[in-house]
Amino acid sequence: MRISKAGLLVVLALLAPLLVELRTVLSWVNVELTVLETGLVGAVLVVAILVWAFLPENGNGKTTEGDASSEN
Amino acid sequence: MNIHTYEKVWLIGSMVLIVGFIVTVTYGAVGLGIAMVDDSEETIEPTELDEDERFAEPRVEQVGEDEYEAYVVAQTFMFSPDPIEIPAGSEVTFHATSRDVIHSFSVAGTNINTMVIPGEVATMTAEFDEPGEYGVVCNEYCGSGHHNMEGELHVVPEDEFDMTELEIEADDEVETGDEATIEVDVENRMLEALETTVTLEIGDEALSESVTVDGSETETTTFTIDAADLGEGDHDWTVTVDDYEDGGTLTVADELEEDDDDE
Amino acid sequence: MMTMSNAYIEEFPAEAKVVRTAFYSAFLALALGGVFGIVQTLHRTGYYRFIDSADYYTVLTAHGVFLVISFTIFFLVGVFTWAVTTSLDRGLEDLRFTWGWYGLMAIGITLSGVAILAGFTDATDISASVLFTFYAPLQGHPMFYLGLVLFVVGTWLAGADWFRSWWAWKQENPDERIPLPTFMVLTTMLMWYIATLGVAAAILLFLLPWSLGLIDSVNPLLTRTLFWFFGHPVVYFWLMPAYMMWYVMLPKVSGGKLFSDPLARVVFVLFLILSVPTGIHHQYLDPGIAEGFKFIAMTNTMFLLLPSLLTAFTVVASMEHGARQRGGKGYFGWLKALPWRDPVFTGMALAGLMFAAAGFSGMINAGMNINYLVHNTFWVVGHFHLTVGTAVALTFMAVTYWFLPQITGKELWSRSVALGQVVLWFVGMTFMSNAMHRAGLLGVPRRTAEPQYEGFEFEAAVGSMGELQAQIALGGVLLTLSLVLFFANVFGTALNGRSDDLPANEYADALSGPEDAPLVLDNLKLWTGIAIVLVIFAYTFPLLSIIDRGGLLGPEIIPLPVFIESPALLVGAVEQLTAGTLESIRPVLEVSR
Repeated sequence: MRISKAGLLVVLALLAPLLVELRTVLSWVNVELTVLETGLVGAVLVVAILVWAFLPENGNGKTTEGDASSEN
Repeated sequence: MNIHTYEKVWLIGSMVLIVGFIVTVTYGAVGLGIAMVDDSEETIEPTELDEDERFAEPRVEQVGEDEYEAYVVAQTFMFSPDPIEIPAGSEVTFHATSRDVIHSFSVAGTNINTMVIPGEVATMTAEFDEPGEYGVVCNEYCGSGHHNMEGELHVVPEDEFDMTELEIEADDEVETGDEATIEVDVENRMLEALETTVTLEIGDEALSESVTVDGSETETTTFTIDAADLGEGDHDWTVTVDDYEDGGTLTVADELEEDDDDE
Repeated sequence: MMTMSNAYIEEFPAEAKVVRTAFYSAFLALALGGVFGIVQTLHRTGYYRFIDSADYYTVLTAHGVFLVISFTIFFLVGVFTWAVTTSLDRGLEDLRFTWGWYGLMAIGITLSGVAILAGFTDATDISASVLFTFYAPLQGHPMFYLGLVLFVVGTWLAGADWFRSWWAWKQENPDERIPLPTFMVLTTMLMWYIATLGVAAAILLFLLPWSLGLIDSVNPLLTRTLFWFFGHPVVYFWLMPAYMMWYVMLPKVSGGKLFSDPLARVVFVLFLILSVPTGIHHQYLDPGIAEGFKFIAMTNTMFLLLPSLLTAFTVVASMEHGARQRGGKGYFGWLKALPWRDPVFTGMALAGLMFAAAGFSGMINAGMNINYLVHNTFWVVGHFHLTVGTAVALTFMAVTYWFLPQITGKELWSRSVALGQVVLWFVGMTFMSNAMHRAGLLGVPRRTAEPQYEGFEFEAAVGSMGELQAQIALGGVLLTLSLVLFFANVFGTALNGRSDDLPANEYADALSGPEDAPLVLDNLKLWTGIAIVLVIFAYTFPLLSIIDRGGLLGPEIIPLPVFIESPALLVGAVEQLTAGTLESIRPVLEVSR
């Protein structure tokens, strides 16, 4: 895993403020999203993050906490 | 004291932000002229509002060409007057006080929002450009019915706005051979003269009279009806002045039991 | 190899008992407050109303008082007891005195709590549905006010207890700098002594005698102003223990050291001198107070942003330092090296992040003329659920996971549940608070049982009112679940057996230590003097003006509800009601002939 399980949990939690504010920010540029559409965007992001997190790196399937991984 | 470079940058940035905020607020006050509710009014006795010329009769009053004053009383759990009617294109100064506990006078969706404290009069001036209807809420907890405390503010198109008061004195009964009178007082509370028509509909008759009521004046129109024209019985009548209407019933009898001159 | 743990309970067993008792009192308040919270959330949003809307205000009073007076302050006295004893490395001077002030606090809050809860039943006339701000002419039962007085006096004695410890330590260590945790305790308590003068005056001079029928009237604007004299600094009384945790606990948990001890001292000194002379920013829309005084409060408030902004820097810098000690590399890569598995760390980090957002909504509130748009709307409720509700409450819950083992000698029941708890709180609060802010901007009022009105509808800019209500209800439910998880750990830990393998009782070292801090920072008398001068500048003229205009005891007012039946009051009440009723039916009278 590219990120520890706890780190993943936190990253996913941070999606909450991102999505909730996204609707408001988009409305400033006249893009209106319904609740459903916002939820879909969220679901897509969750999947994307999960895929990224579980992608093996350097052939290893494991990353332990505290290890430096490559720069993002 | 060791202050890291980044910390110095952050400190300076913070001070710039803070000063920026103060400048913005000051601009709002001095540049845009947004005044805060303050202590410019005298204190008042909450138990003696009925002796105060402003609040004994909560109302809207015209004081200049497009200038109005609104005297509002907040109490558990209502606002007076309700609805508050003002014309579009006007500048209104609200004066609000409380009869009992602390309330607020808050027009939802606007920045017209003030605390209403017993013993104090809150004044706020606002400009209303467009017609519309607004809800007025009390947003300061005032007791068990607080959530029911609401009112309305109607901004009426200029050409539809008037402050006309109607008062009618009419005979209830009349003898067949007699005449009945209906006296209509039209009070024009605006500063501009009002040209209008007073119409009386009774039986199948309609009587009209044009009147011009000067600003802050009252004109009286008297209608006289021949009882013989109506015939015996109960006759409903209506007096109409613009959008205002009032009505009653006139009874024509051969012989009146008492010489009542009921109004 | 097993090591002998020097957990707090081993070093200071008697003091650990004090901290434990204080924490459990706090948790009881948290539980009650939380139950009331979900009742309110579901009632307001219309999802589930099983109480009378009139009783909502009793629920709201309890929610407010139990959470922001009882929970926060009992937790504070626990943390501060730990902080003073640990950093001075000495036990309390006189445990009987300590239990004395604790007892006073407990009795006080119980009296007030009973007065509030009695409002639910008609069995007695006792009630205090006056909300956490208890503005006159709303009146509570005398027991409510008396309870608050006892509680506050208890906290004053607690401060005296810690000053005693410090003086005793100073005799034996005359040349040493005040250890940072103790420094923080002392500056916080000095601020509290100044702040509580306002509410003590309001209650002892006016509200309590008035509720007992000893005086006929109070000046509503005066008592309200005296409340806010206290009402703003009380939020710093909640925040400063949380800041203490971010300064002395978070760096260590992050794996490193506090970035700068001197700057931490500067921050706390700034709070001491600036917290009180800002209270009028809660009264921007009050008649009877001149705009000039409001402007002064505004500038003071804007400067009060500085210590929080400085804290943001120090906290992040300390975390980064810790992360790099753990091997983190890169501009942002070090974030991954932080101990996210540790609920103590993650909880505090998320609380700090949320506080940044809260700061911005606070800046709007502080913006004098901008305040027109948000005063008393649901926006304010969104704001303070981010500040006291997350920055403070979530930090307190997060550090509980470190403290519980230290004060009970038992291992934490479940770290994963704890981690889930803090994350769930963050997510729930995001939903709830965001919707509250947005609803407030539409004009939806706070402190209202039914924000649905007959004559008009609120118009939402994005989405609809229905969506906002749903989001609030969702957030509230998630927060309640989070509380359940928290209590699972509290109970689970209490039921565990004693452990030999607990971490030592310690707090973070500093990269730039107290030796780098100018001596003047430790001159508590100087800072207290300046604080008092600033308060005199900010408050003398407004208070004198209010008294001059309305009188010390105000105009004749009618309390609501009426407790003491004095004939004068009853006659007055009847007159008021009659006048009011006549007013309301006057239009009806005029139309009918």
